[in-house]
Order: sequence, then structure tokens, then C-alpha cells
Amino acid sequence: MGTISSALSIMTGALDNDQAALNVVANNVANANTPGYTQEVPDWQQNAPIDINGVLVGQGATETGATSQRDRVLNERLDQQQQLASASGTRLTALNTVQSLFTPDSGSSSSTAGDIGSDITSFFDSFSSLEANPTDNALRQDVLATASTLAGDVSNAAASLNGQRSSLDQEAAGVATQVNSLTSALAQLNLEIQSASPNGDAGTLEDQRQQDLSQLSQLIGINQITTENNGLSITTTSGQLLVSEGQSFQLTTGLVNGVTNFFAGGTNITSQLESGGGELGGYLTARDQDIPSVLNSLDQLAYSVSTQVNALNNSGTDLAGDNGNAGDIFLEPAQVAGSATAMSVVMTNPDNIAAASLGADTGDNTNAVAMANLANQTIVNGETPSNYYSNFITALGSTVQQVQTENTAQTASVTQLQTQSNALSSVNLNDEASSLTVFERSYQAASQVFTILNTTMASALNLGEQATVS
Amino acid sequence: MTELRVRPAHPQLKQLVTEASRALATLDADRLEELALSCQALNRDLNRDLYRDPGPAGAAARGALAQQAREAAGDMAVFAHVLDATRANLRVLRRLRELREGHFEYGGAEWTGSRHGHD
Repeated sequence: MGTISSALSIMTGALDNDQAALNVVANNVANANTPGYTQEVPDWQQNAPIDINGVLVGQGATETGATSQRDRVLNERLDQQQQLASASGTRLTALNTVQSLFTPDSGSSSSTAGDIGSDITSFFDSFSSLEANPTDNALRQDVLATASTLAGDVSNAAASLNGQRSSLDQEAAGVATQVNSLTSALAQLNLEIQSASPNGDAGTLEDQRQQDLSQLSQLIGINQITTENNGLSITTTSGQLLVSEGQSFQLTTGLVNGVTNFFAGGTNITSQLESGGGELGGYLTARDQDIPSVLNSLDQLAYSVSTQVNALNNSGTDLAGDNGNAGDIFLEPAQVAGSATAMSVVMTNPDNIAAASLGADTGDNTNAVAMANLANQTIVNGETPSNYYSNFITALGSTVQQVQTENTAQTASVTQLQTQSNALSSVNLNDEASSLTVFERSYQAASQVFTILNTTMASALNLGEQATVS
Repeated sequence: MTELRVRPAHPQLKQLVTEASRALATLDADRLEELALSCQALNRDLNRDLYRDPGPAGAAARGALAQQAREAAGDMAVFAHVLDATRANLRVLRRLRELREGHFEYGGAEWTGSRHGHD
């Protein structure tokens, strides 16, 4: 009796369960194109068996809800890689803008740097020309003209860099506002999730939380810490608390030495955020490291050329016969910092160029020769002006290339993880196991390709060198 | 042997490396396996023919290949980075697989392996 009743009950339950499972599948299909939606699978719970005449009889299973097939570990890995890719992408964009300033094709008449390398050569060549006829007014005019072009291009480049730095500063401050908005939303979501589903998956609320976390990862480097009752705490990568379950902690900003600094709970965390990742990390690295480094190189060039040329001009005799008091060609910089921005030509009368040596006849060219020879002397940080500039451009290109490499690899990593995440979480028919198999096959084949190509390239370089030598 | 030197169609190393990076980023296992076979064949051809040709044509071809290797160096660095990232990603996924197979419980509180000791 009881057996028949139990059997019917199990069958009825099975039909109910099938219907509930179908509802879950229908929900998956209906949301197939919903951004961030995570596939759900029905949860089954075994019913407690009943004792019939000393024999335990199973009572079937009951569908107890649906669980999203998300995986926090995979999502965290994806978020971390996204933070790195986002930081290097933002930095790369800034560096490309910097590099374009120094591309000769940009043209020297615009607000770009023009061709400073050619400017340096032309300036010192103008002294070489003056050697032949030191009293020639046209040649003297040419010295001042080339000096103006050089100074103008250097100061334009510095002005552009300072302008770019200000833009990056504003962008970074804007990111802080977005971060605060997202952390507030995440704290609210934590409350809702903890209240609605403290022991299980919270479905769409968790999807929303994951989407917000992904967005936050684009902006700033974060760590995620799972807490009790399905809660989540979020810190910056250096450990400053941004969200503690239902409470968010705002980033604040303030100006320090004219640039925006970032504070968490009164502590200045700007330098930590710089290395933390996300767009903010990229903006801050470009603002506080890359651009200052380029500006410093330009400052060194401007300072050395200006002071050395001025010193020589003041140690000779100009066309008016002034001995040791001919005046400066360039504005004399007081210090290295700011020299590039301030670089300009202050001499207006070409007669004041001291082509002759001290006490010599005005037709003498000794000092003009000395000034032309500055081109071959190691007057800028132990290098000639042209070599210094050339090495600076090479180093800048190398940095851009390095960041480009990092960004390409990080973006590839994000693509891989998204592929896996989609296979696992989204509504499609891919099987997780086969996804992992594809991943492993790809890695193994790529390792083979790398090993062979590495050997081939090493042999090619080695034998190629031998061929060149022989 | 002569054909190899005359034929300009050594796949350019740079193209090979770029293609491998792209395929690895998108986890195109089939393409990567094809590339691995291509690279094996290329290496075999080079060892058999190009590297052993003592004549001036062989020297020129080796010089050209060295030039290709230099041009591909940057892309090779990208490929190495992508491979590194892939290795790390694969480690995460293998770990997830273990978790799902029940070797570990989320939260780390529950040990599902065999018990030891006297019970």
C-alpha cells in the first residue's frame, strides 16, 4: 500500500522536477543573448528515505533551485589579467602619443617636436659654415635661425608633454569617480546577495556583481576576498579596503605639487595605485614615470646645449669687438628641470655672435670652430648632443615596444580566459572537459612551435653571422 | 636542395611567429598543431639542405634567414609572453578541474580524501 503510494509520489515528484528543470533550460535559452548572464543548471536534492517494515525506500529527488555555472576562481583570474591588459593598454596609448611627438614627419611648424635630431645637426653645421666667413651677416643670421628652430622644437615638445601630462591627470581623476560609483554599487549588491541567498548562488544578482567586478578591474587593480554568507570584500592590490561586504570606502583626490593624488582613508596611495593595474595604473605610470622621464631627457639636452653654447659665446669676441661679453645666444637656464620648456633664443643681433677668440680680430674664426666642435664633444651626460638625442629616441622606442609586447600577451591571455569563461558560464553547448582538452592541446602544440622556432632562429643567427664573417 | 634555395617561399619566420601567437591567443589547437608540423618540416629542410650548403648561394640564403630571424625577434618575445600567460591560465584551469572533480571543497574546510589513523 505504502509502496504504491510512495511510487506514485516519486513519479509525481519526477514529473514536477522535469518541469522545473525545463523551466531552468527555458530561462537559459531566453537569456542566451543577455550580457553577463550565466547559465543555470537545476539543483537536485535527494529526499529522505522512508522506513517500510524495516526496509529503507528511496523517496526520489526534489528540484531545489538553480545554480549558475560561474566559477569565481576563473573570474578572478580573468579580472586580474584584465587589470594588467587594461593598465598596459592605457600606458601604451599614452606612450604612442609621446612617441608621435618625436616623429619627424609630424612637421616642425606644428605644435609637435619636429625633427630635433636634424635641428641639432643644422645648428652646429651653421657654425661650421660661419667658420669660412665669420663676418658674413647672412651666415650669422643662419646661426640664429637654426638656434630658433632647435629651441622652438624642444620647447614645443616639452609643452606638448606637459599638456599630455595634464590630460592624463584629469583622466586619472575621472577614473576615481567611476571606481567610487562601482564600489558603492558592489556594496549594495553584497547586501542584497547576502540577504537573498546567504548559502547558495544568487543567480542574476551574482551575474550583476561579476559584471561590476569586471568593470572595476578595467579601472583599477583589485583583490577579491570571499566572506561569509556569500559576501565579498574588495581591496586595492596593495591592500586598501574598497568594499567590505555591504560597506564601500571612497577614494578621494587632492592636489599635491599640482598633480592629482589619491587617498584611501586619509592615506596617500598614489604610488601604490600606479603599480596596481587597471586604467588608473596605466594613467599614473604614464603621468608619473614615462612623461617625466622623457621631459628630463629633453631638459638635459636643452640645459647642456644652452649653457655650453652660451659659455663659449661669452668667451670670444663678437663683430662689435666685445671681448668676453658678447652675451647669450639661448636663454640661460638656472637649473636642469624646466630647461626644455624655457628653451628660447634671446640674442636678436647676429653681430653679437662671438666667432673670434678672445682678443682676436673680428675676422678670426677660432671661436666659431670651437662652437661647431661642440657637436662632437660629449657635453650632454657624457654623450654628444646628436648621440644623446638618438639614444633617447631609441630608448623611448624600446619602451613602447616592450609595453606593446606586454599588452599583446596580456590581451591574448584575456581572450583565452574569456573563451574558457564563456564555455563554462554562458549558454552554449560546449563541454567544459573538451574546452580544457583544447586548451591543453593548444599549449602543447604552441610549446613545440616555440621550441622549434627558437632553435631555428638561434641556428639561423649563428650561421648567418658566420656567413657574413666568411 | 637547389629548389629550396631558389624558392622564396620559406614561410617568413616573422609570419610564422605572428600566426602562432594569434592561434594561441584564440586557442586554435588545430592551427597550432599544423604550425608545429610545418616548423618541424622547416627545421628538417634547413638541417638537410641550407645549413650544409658550403657554396656562396648557401651562405647568401643563410644570411637571408638570419635577417628574417632578427626581424622576427620582437614577435618571438610576444609569443614567449603569450606562452607564459597560457601556462599560468592552464594551471588555473587544471586546478579548477580538480576542484570540480571533488578533490577539494570550496572554502577549504572539508577534506574529502581518505581518513588516516585509528577509527
